[in-house]
Amino acid sequence: MLRTSLACTGFGWEDANPLAKPSFQRPSFHRRLPATLDSVEELMDALEAYAEKAEIDMAVAARLNLVAEEIAANVAMHAAGATYFALDVTPREQALDLVLEDDGPEYDPLARDEVDTEADLEERDIGGLGVHLVRKLTQDARYERIGDTNRLSCSLALPD
Amino acid sequence: MEITETAEGSKTVAVLDGRLDTATAAQTETALLALLAKGGVIADLANVRYVSSAGLRVLLKAVKQAKAAGASFSVVGLQPPVREVFEISGFDKIIPAFATRAEAAAA
Repeated sequence: MLRTSLACTGFGWEDANPLAKPSFQRPSFHRRLPATLDSVEELMDALEAYAEKAEIDMAVAARLNLVAEEIAANVAMHAAGATYFALDVTPREQALDLVLEDDGPEYDPLARDEVDTEADLEERDIGGLGVHLVRKLTQDARYERIGDTNRLSCSLALPD
Repeated sequence: MEITETAEGSKTVAVLDGRLDTATAAQTETALLALLAKGGVIADLANVRYVSSAGLRVLLKAVKQAKAAGASFSVVGLQPPVREVFEISGFDKIIPAFATRAEAAAA
């Protein structure tokens, strides 16, 4: 009996309840990975798959990847003793809420000085550019230190 | 990242396909700098949907090396998310960008 009922529901969760389709609910995303550069690549792959599944606009998907990479790669390369980084994406009606956490030393990326994007080629220093991009591409970016955890929260607006 | 080499006029075209990010930066840098050692290079980014600061660092290195060698380095085919990153970082003012390979070759 069980076998028959399974066969009738198809293979994907979206087939199980066709009535749920018209009011598409974007799924949320969560990954907690070891603080290594290999994990950064794994996170990028996972986010691309998520953006497709969650039907996220291409421009927003690129911003999501960028914010996640800048923060995760920074932890993987510079946060001495960090064992993990984690990313949570929670969709709301008009925005994606992002929370990035790691257990590295206390570090507020938003406290960095603004970069000079007007500097010409010779003087151009690449340091801080990742944080600059995160600041400019997100809304409501804020940093908190909670116990042994760095937490960066921000939002990405979704198009209408 | 897949990098294919072709030509447009007297310049080499490096056709990039994939993400230009932390994971692919080193490989892309090696390839672009090797091509620049032979002359002017056009990087075709039409199949690059995403560039992070690690990718920008590679392009900055390429344009600096080109300048030092008296060669040219330019990009073509910027996708909207890539263009956005270029503009926010001010790279639109330091890396010549063209709509087509032919325009980049003629520049």
